[in-house]
Amino acid sequence: MGKEIFYFLIFPGLLFSGIVGGFLSWFDRKITARVQFRQGPPLLQPLYDFIKLLTKETLIPKRGSQLTFLIAPILALFGAVISSVFVLLPLFGIKTGFLGDLIVIIYLLNIPSLSYMIGALASGNPLAAVGASREMKLILSYEVPFLLVLISIIIKSEMSIKLSEIIAFQTANGAFIGSISGVIGFIVVLMCIQAKLGLVPFDMAEGEGEICDGITIEFSGTTYALVTLAKYIMLFVLPALVVALFFAGMNFEGINILWSILKVVLVVLLVTLVRNTNPRVRIDQAMRFFWIWMNLLAVVSIILAILGL
Amino acid sequence: MINLQYLIFLPIGIGIVLFLIPEFLKQVKGVVNLLISIFTLYTSILVFKMSSGIINIECFKFPSISKYLIFNVDSLSKLIVLFIGIFGFLFALYSLSYITKEKAITGYYSYYLITLGSAFGAVFSDNLILFIIFWGILGLTLYMLIKGFDEESSSAAKKTFILIGASDSILILGIGILWKITGSMNMSEVHIATTGTLGIIAFLSLLVGSFTKAGAMPFHSWVPDYVKKAPASSSAYLPASLDKLLGIYFLIRICRDIFQLTDWATLMLLIIGSVTIIGAVMMALVQHNYKKLLGYHAVSQVGYMITGIALGSPLGIAAGMFHMINNALYKGGLFLTAGSVEKQTGKENLDELGGLSKMMPLTFFAALIFALSISGIPPFNGFFSKWMIYQGIIDFGNGTGLANKLWIVWLTLAVLGSALTLASFIKLITGIYLGRRNEKLEKVKEVSFLMWLPQIVIAIVCIGFGIFAAKFVIPYLIEPVTGKLNYVGIWQSQSVSILILVSVVVGFLIYLYGNMKNHRVSESFIGGEKLQEETNFSSLDFYQTIKNFKFLSFCYKKAEKKWFDIYEIFKKIILWLNHVFSDAHNGFLPRYVFWYIAGLLILLIILIF
Repeated sequence: MGKEIFYFLIFPGLLFSGIVGGFLSWFDRKITARVQFRQGPPLLQPLYDFIKLLTKETLIPKRGSQLTFLIAPILALFGAVISSVFVLLPLFGIKTGFLGDLIVIIYLLNIPSLSYMIGALASGNPLAAVGASREMKLILSYEVPFLLVLISIIIKSEMSIKLSEIIAFQTANGAFIGSISGVIGFIVVLMCIQAKLGLVPFDMAEGEGEICDGITIEFSGTTYALVTLAKYIMLFVLPALVVALFFAGMNFEGINILWSILKVVLVVLLVTLVRNTNPRVRIDQAMRFFWIWMNLLAVVSIILAILGL
Repeated sequence: MINLQYLIFLPIGIGIVLFLIPEFLKQVKGVVNLLISIFTLYTSILVFKMSSGIINIECFKFPSISKYLIFNVDSLSKLIVLFIGIFGFLFALYSLSYITKEKAITGYYSYYLITLGSAFGAVFSDNLILFIIFWGILGLTLYMLIKGFDEESSSAAKKTFILIGASDSILILGIGILWKITGSMNMSEVHIATTGTLGIIAFLSLLVGSFTKAGAMPFHSWVPDYVKKAPASSSAYLPASLDKLLGIYFLIRICRDIFQLTDWATLMLLIIGSVTIIGAVMMALVQHNYKKLLGYHAVSQVGYMITGIALGSPLGIAAGMFHMINNALYKGGLFLTAGSVEKQTGKENLDELGGLSKMMPLTFFAALIFALSISGIPPFNGFFSKWMIYQGIIDFGNGTGLANKLWIVWLTLAVLGSALTLASFIKLITGIYLGRRNEKLEKVKEVSFLMWLPQIVIAIVCIGFGIFAAKFVIPYLIEPVTGKLNYVGIWQSQSVSILILVSVVVGFLIYLYGNMKNHRVSESFIGGEKLQEETNFSSLDFYQTIKNFKFLSFCYKKAEKKWFDIYEIFKKIILWLNHVFSDAHNGFLPRYVFWYIAGLLILLIILIF
């Protein structure tokens, strides 16, 4: 059991993915600043943010369910960390008995969103309720295209649902991004992780302008520190999952280390560019976008995968 | 072998005796009911440990009756009986405090016990005639366990009785055909393929019986109406747990023992399963009444069980069975919590409630566990059985038939159904327990010990079944029925559960280390405005966006007009036929003379040729 706790708390769990996620968050903010012709924050800004939040006063909503409200951020952090463990262990090629298959990863990746929703609803704030309902509708929208792309990956890797086998298959037969179905699947997944991360154009659950951060409006001080940490980790886990699914994972021999890091940075860069060049859409537009267009693309990707393209 | 008779006939006998005790001695009846259910629980555990075999009971040296009293004690029936025993006990405990004067149904405890005995009987019967007798009694008690106090409840009871009764008569037809084909009335001796006209008709007839009991589409429409009006203990007892156990038990018997599934039968079952999952959960999404919402989920979850069983592989059947047990647990539990909320507040709609988690913490805890379980959130039991079903579907995709080729469709719909379930339970939990506390509900109290204990016990079982599924539950309960299972994926529930505890500890430490001592309790921030009493975003409006999509709003409108309700469809057809035939009886002599002559002519023609 000690081994699992080490994976969970130190590497590649809480500590490691928290630090890398913080770095990626800095990268995201720096690029955003550059796109907007600003200077951008210093490298340690995410750490400063986290520590600052820990020392701030924490507000607890008066009319809500206080215990549920306080537990929700912890569970969000748990969801982010456990999915980082299940994604990163195979990605780094660490052979261990502690694994989860793709279905488990899909479900675990939803736990942070679910926890935010429960926390927001427990606060009793109407704006938080609006945010939570949008988050739920967003989950309903992206869940199916995300799953369909994973199915096309499963088909391409000859019915394997284990991440390590999918990576091994790509190492032997070339990365999936090199095929037409892979490219289409990659586009769909990119949109899905945009929504999973709650970034523009799919940030309607937070919608600063209209519902004042919606789903996270009531979190402050320590509780918001935990939410921020979970978001940092998600910003690392989802691109890492994409790297595992489409870019043949990572390799740590010689110059390949650089390539491996660049793959993750490239995905984050794409996510950042999308969020900086698009306006926010309405929730019904987002739902239509995923239900019709993304599903259509994902189905095309599956058909091509069955045809072996 | 003495256990078996006690298990079946003692509850029925005591139930009949209880009719003689006057109604005002309700508490006495309740205690007798509880004692009998403890006895049957104990006996069902004994039976579970018994060795398997076909048992023929001698009935007072009447060979003509004894030849029908054939009971099949195998791993499947023992498993189902164990859980009937458990639920019988838990709900008897709950009823003791829940069934009060205003809720009283005449003969509630008598029917409760008769149901218990008949359920045991139906599961053990090997002889189909014996089976249909017990099965029929269950339909009757289901009808008696709802109280017709207004028009809506009476019509719900009538609808239930007619649908169950009609399906039972179709079931009898199927049994007759089965006898015609095989010449045997014993389930253990029959095993035929679903080919040939008669075989197909028999298969479909038996399927109708099982589907109506379990509440699968298109025979589901009695479930939501029934649970909306019935007392919560009846809903938890029959439609949520016992009917599911029995209906799915019979489905497994049909698909595994009595018939051999062919490709088209598998395809049909998978289509019905998927349509049930999605159709019912979409209806649940827009309900205002929380009991009705749960009723639609009681339908939707059946879809998963049918999907699992239709796969036909040991993994699929095991997944279907495990989901059946899990569903009976959390759905029964959900109805108990719904009953508790209704009893304490007297409110039936989600928009009249809110913020009860502070006043009813134990009920809230149990309801949250059930909601997370049914939505398939790891590490609870619902996740494990759904995960098994998904694996079963992926494994099924390796086959060559048409149904196998469509594995992507089944998998996608099953996962989508799970997400939609989560959505509607977010609505339910928010509407009742979270959200803004309703000022009028400040004085609501937690339910009594007898009512929260069953809820908490079931919640703990849900957690335990989720965490120890692969290690203890499946090997001990399911694998005796299906044989050793080979999982395709990996899910280490125990390690992950320990990590949840670790993260709660770590989170607590962060709270301690952080500035939590300086926390402040304050009103919600809504953009700097003062929070008004009426400022609210009701959970009823959560999914209005979905309802507004063109295609879906079309479907919802048709559903409101009961286009998808088989009972209403047949009602319309029969009324139309009445109308047609009423033209023949218009009361004028010439019309009747015409019928006489026409009839005579037809007779003449028949006699001549």
